[in-house]
Amino acid sequence: MALRNTPDSFGLVTRLLHWTTALLVIVMLSLGLRIADMEPGLANLWLYGLHKTLGLTVLGLILVRIGWHIASPVPRPIGGPGWDHLAARAGHIAFYLLLIGIPLSGWAGSSATGIDVMFADRWVVPPIAAVSEAGEAFWFRLHDIQTKLLIGLIIVHGLAALKRETAGDGTLTRMIRGRTKD
Amino acid sequence: MARTILSTLFAALLIPGPLMAAPVAYLLDRAASTVAFETAFGPDLITGTIPLDIADLTLDFDSVANCTVAVQLDVSGAEASFPFAAQALKGPKVLDAVAHPKMVFKSTAVKARGDGAIVAGNLTIRGVTRPVQLAAEIFRQKGTVEGDRSRLTVRLTGKINRSDFGATGWSDMVDDAVRIIITARIEAKG
Repeated sequence: MALRNTPDSFGLVTRLLHWTTALLVIVMLSLGLRIADMEPGLANLWLYGLHKTLGLTVLGLILVRIGWHIASPVPRPIGGPGWDHLAARAGHIAFYLLLIGIPLSGWAGSSATGIDVMFADRWVVPPIAAVSEAGEAFWFRLHDIQTKLLIGLIIVHGLAALKRETAGDGTLTRMIRGRTKD
Repeated sequence: MARTILSTLFAALLIPGPLMAAPVAYLLDRAASTVAFETAFGPDLITGTIPLDIADLTLDFDSVANCTVAVQLDVSGAEASFPFAAQALKGPKVLDAVAHPKMVFKSTAVKARGDGAIVAGNLTIRGVTRPVQLAAEIFRQKGTVEGDRSRLTVRLTGKINRSDFGATGWSDMVDDAVRIIITARIEAKG
């Protein structure tokens, strides 16, 4: 089982990074929606800490993924060039931008509240924005908009992968098993 | 605590003694004095303390109206029942300890009520001054004998709405009403 990508297949590292990030993002979206709706209290205060910890983890994973893909470039898209490849390319770039931007806007908004951002309820993460009510409102609004865009993108990405898989080109299979069936 | 102390309150007027003749100024025992607060956080309570900096009290057991109270608190030393609450409390959205490190209460009128008194005064938080009323009780401290008013415990309690002072931060999470309990242990000057 190859760790590195080849011109035609995804290596184990890329697939692990992809599916771990996907799982974390789905957990994060569920957690974020739960936090937005709940009445805060001492019993659920830890959920805020968990959200921040997982968000920083996603940021770390994305940076690792970018580094890995520089070291081990991803395979070419299946099939010939066309509008769908351009759309997929744009979608992947949007994913990277959002998965970097969302944790950063959440981190900045939390910094602007003046309350420490903790990782794993143990380490204080340095603030990246000045303490300011206007800043807090701006960053959390941006966080909200970016998150909604990400939800839309995930739906489109998932549907596109399913469409191509059902059309028989093996795009989804390649991300699961590393290479297409044939 | 005060249960072990004989409650003399302003009913101490009934106790004969040499200190009854004139208003008496008292010094604060900072180490033994506290300012506690509590407010609702969802279904729970946030509790905490703010250190007492200065308390100038003059008590007149002959005429309650002559009593005066001036208290200054050190906002930057505030603590709360969990760390994030202390940071939020001292941050710019609530007490803004950097810009306004002191909280001040000065009495404007004192009236007897029941066994205690009502102290009307001006409270300044975040540089905003609003009139408030605090209920006052006075206790003789443990170890003192009846009629000895050289060491007393003054308990001031009241409720404020933090939004009146512009301390509106986290209003979606934390209640507006804040209960304050000042316990000042004082000793007669001289």
